Amino acid sequence: MAALLLPAVLLVLAMMVAPMALLFRYSLNLYSPTELMIAAVTPGNYLAAVTDPYYWGVLRTTLTVAFEATLIALILGFPAAYVLARMQGRWKGPLTLLTVFPLMVGNVVRAAGWMTLLGNSGVLNAALKAMGFGGIEMMYTQGAVIVGIVTVVLPYMILTLASVIESIPVNAEEAAQNLGARPFTVFRRIVLPLSLPGVVAGSALVFILCMNAYATPVLLGGARFKMMAPAVYDQFVRTTNWPFGAALAFILLFVTLGLTMAGSALLQRRYRR
Amino acid sequence: MRAVMWRGGVGAVFAAVLLPMVAVMWLSFFDQEVISFPPEGYTWRWYVNAWEKKQFARGFVNSLQLALVAAGLGVFVGTAAAYALVRAEFPGKAFLGTLLLSPLAVPGVVLGTALYVFFVEVENAIDIDIRATLPGLIAAHVLLTVPWTVRLVAASLQGIGPAAEEAAANLGARPWTVFRRITLPMMRSGVVAGALFSFIQSFENLELSLLLVGPGRSTLPVEMLNYLEFRIDPTLAAVATIQIVLIGALMLVTDRYVNLSRVVS
Repeated sequence: MAALLLPAVLLVLAMMVAPMALLFRYSLNLYSPTELMIAAVTPGNYLAAVTDPYYWGVLRTTLTVAFEATLIALILGFPAAYVLARMQGRWKGPLTLLTVFPLMVGNVVRAAGWMTLLGNSGVLNAALKAMGFGGIEMMYTQGAVIVGIVTVVLPYMILTLASVIESIPVNAEEAAQNLGARPFTVFRRIVLPLSLPGVVAGSALVFILCMNAYATPVLLGGARFKMMAPAVYDQFVRTTNWPFGAALAFILLFVTLGLTMAGSALLQRRYRR
Repeated sequence: MRAVMWRGGVGAVFAAVLLPMVAVMWLSFFDQEVISFPPEGYTWRWYVNAWEKKQFARGFVNSLQLALVAAGLGVFVGTAAAYALVRAEFPGKAFLGTLLLSPLAVPGVVLGTALYVFFVEVENAIDIDIRATLPGLIAAHVLLTVPWTVRLVAASLQGIGPAAEEAAANLGARPWTVFRRITLPMMRSGVVAGALFSFIQSFENLELSLLLVGPGRSTLPVEMLNYLEFRIDPTLAAVATIQIVLIGALMLVTDRYVNLSRVVS
């Protein structure tokens, strides 16, 4: 019966493992403007990427946006997740559906929505002008990108947190309340520590999504705003330096995974004490 | 008072997620080409206009073909794999299970780039075009549809023990009869959910397609991205609205088959 696995495993090996191995091999090659690529084994592309001030800037922008968006999503998502988790009766199903639904709609469509709202002649600026204020440039700023990314990742955060909060018995909160704890104390001493696995899992998932965002920074950040994922594609589409582009892709992958694992370990250790 | 503010705040969070979709749906009915608020009037004509724009009509048909074939393949291959993962015992099972779900964990951008260089190498080796063809896009999108099917079918199979299958076998049913009469009906909700989710994931995917499309062979999300880099107008909003409505309908169908809150975690 294990043979039933064979087609799926072969597909993943051929279409994911082999291409990823090839891309990694490319990242160790040398680039030449005339021959494009020369086989070699050199860390040169990685060193060039981390010593180039432009790509440092791109990486720093990416990290700033990802950290801020993750933190905002956590702060906004926690109360929403709590309400969803503790909700009972006939509204729970529709609210869950309403949370999952945006996840299925592509990021391009949702970025188009924010362009409608934030554009120079968009809804918000029209409203400001109607109230007698001058317009504000909102599009093509880091703020617009963060707003766009936060609303893209919020449903992931809410659903991950809600599934953990659901497993915390309501009795624990009621007991604390009966013993005289105020709502904020109940949150700080009971709900937050018990939902920590959800906080860690949700933040890790959301951070990874933010680091790799493509459509939102391209459309809401504009041509001069660069994050890592669009920078990787530019190397393949606009220039011919594939070894360098491959190195950028793996730097993005390693930085994301490294920070996610370090962050999860740190959060968990802090609360075990 | 406090309770009201608390509820209002939580309501605002859910509203903020839905707001951009509502805005783009509203824009699609504006009676003027250049956006200004409030609108001068409302019209349906951008929907006709969207269909007359070649890149959107062709992109829609391409994405539909791609998602249908990729989801069809994914459901076959993924259901077989999920059945083996849940019912069979063999060494390395946990590792293979992780391997089959791993394409969802690799960033789309990195995977898309890897597929691009891989296809270039294969093209050089066998002298057949793969980039900018439907088979090339299908090969890439199967990496979305197989893991989603495995995840959803395995979850639905875990809920039902092998007792009914064993009983049928003991009563003399042949393996094929057991599969057709017992296993398949039991798996139905998982398979339907897997098919619908796979379809949506493939239809809406941007990152894997971005480097693999070509002139005349582009997907709807890529065409929309290219258009949006220059402008947002009611025509594009109409294209976006059609997708929102299509996905909403598919989600309502899926909701009848699986517990949606279990889909993400």
